Amino acid sequence: MPTSPSRLLLLLPTTTYRTEAFVDAASKLGVDLVCASERPSSLQALVPESLVTLDFKDPGASAETIARFARRRPIDAVVAVDDLTTVVAAAISERLGLKANSLPAAAAARDKLTMRRSLASAGVPVPRFRLVELADDPAEHAEAVEYPCVLKPLTLSASRGVIRANDAREFVAAFRRISAILEQGDAAPVGEARRALLVEEFVPGREVAMEGLLVGGTLHVLALFDKPDPLDGPFFEETIYVTPSRLPGPLQDRIAAVTRDACSALGLTEGPIHAELRINDRGPFVLEVAARSIGGLCARTLRFGTGLSLEELILCHALGRPLESLERERRAAGVMMIPIPRGGRLVGVRGAEEAAAVDAIEEVAITMHPGQEVVPLPEGWQYLGFIFARAETSAAVEGALREAHARLHFEIE
Amino acid sequence: MSADLKTRVQELIDSMINPAVAGHGGFVELIDVQDNRVYLQMGGGCQGCGAADITLKSGIERLIKEEIPEVAEVLDTTDHAAGANPYYTPGKA
Repeated sequence: MPTSPSRLLLLLPTTTYRTEAFVDAASKLGVDLVCASERPSSLQALVPESLVTLDFKDPGASAETIARFARRRPIDAVVAVDDLTTVVAAAISERLGLKANSLPAAAAARDKLTMRRSLASAGVPVPRFRLVELADDPAEHAEAVEYPCVLKPLTLSASRGVIRANDAREFVAAFRRISAILEQGDAAPVGEARRALLVEEFVPGREVAMEGLLVGGTLHVLALFDKPDPLDGPFFEETIYVTPSRLPGPLQDRIAAVTRDACSALGLTEGPIHAELRINDRGPFVLEVAARSIGGLCARTLRFGTGLSLEELILCHALGRPLESLERERRAAGVMMIPIPRGGRLVGVRGAEEAAAVDAIEEVAITMHPGQEVVPLPEGWQYLGFIFARAETSAAVEGALREAHARLHFEIE
Repeated sequence: MSADLKTRVQELIDSMINPAVAGHGGFVELIDVQDNRVYLQMGGGCQGCGAADITLKSGIERLIKEEIPEVAEVLDTTDHAAGANPYYTPGKA
């Protein structure tokens, strides 16, 4: 692998789970790393050449800050590690003349309404949708929509604020609940995302997630994950992801084709994508295509070629280095995002050693700390932790994840 | 040589690094220096912090290498899962 000196800007929100993985990947690749967050590092004044503070809600100002920085220390690539920074990464890349997704494409993938409109106008199958202003009377809209429907904020992630409504009463309740979430300081979207929400048809069926890498406009499928637990609402808490998918090959090909069409419709051309689709007898429906890789710690399930991590692949691509292999390992792998059973304060966790001892379990990572406030969906956006498994078959992986989870006991008061 | 290196790293931690990370309620403890590798443990607000790796690799390691070029690497031995009061808490953004 070439080792020409290169400097990479990582956009790392202080709330991301991805810091360790991306910093490790940069270290392994011998990259000169510059880290930018929305709040200052305690060491920024001592090491200003590698630690930067940016306002992630202001892509233009962030691009200007980095342009000034780059006059002294040129930047070769910019990588957004999750949803909060994809638009900023595009703005900075555009300002610096780096190969990346265009700003309109990144913005379209970040905003669920723009995404739905772009996909629908290109003929990509999406749920029927409408925009509802938060200033409106929800009771009026409740009479005009078809049920069941799903109400969701325009920009939040991790299923936060996504609620199914089966009738007008549930619609009004969901509308008010999402309005309250958007008023919370940590959610605080800007612009239209603060003033409106999306109401869309509930698409029954099973859900899958596709991980891909766009190289020069060509989508390379890295992994297709089944989500074996039903996601029928009223909230949409994700739990198990297992790859390879157990869906029939032709259907997997169709999912890949629809995802390619979606990327093309949005104008996405470079870097990782994470797509979520619903599958039923009408075919695949695109719920979302995000211009970033899989969230949480879930990327730990993926290994490529001779053991490359997803983060190493992403950084190699961003730096224009040759990609050793985009082929995932042969073994099945999976993760369980440990769901939050109820709200309260985490007192302790029992059974972690017993869970880790289950055959095929590689790791049990509890990411919430004792004393931390535990907030379930739809208001929350965190997980208690993650369980990882690897085995010969997807069925064995799923079984191991369920058995390990059953051995965990969370004391919440 | 190693004892001298350890002393210099400790001085840097005492004079520059710990006063800075104290701003986030954190502290750094030197565990050992072996074969030009520095082993550290992070505590307080740094233990379990979502930005601990940024602090370590882009902050502490960079600073130590600049001041003491013979240091090859800085390694974290912290049990971050046991952190009870991290300054930044991760979530699935």
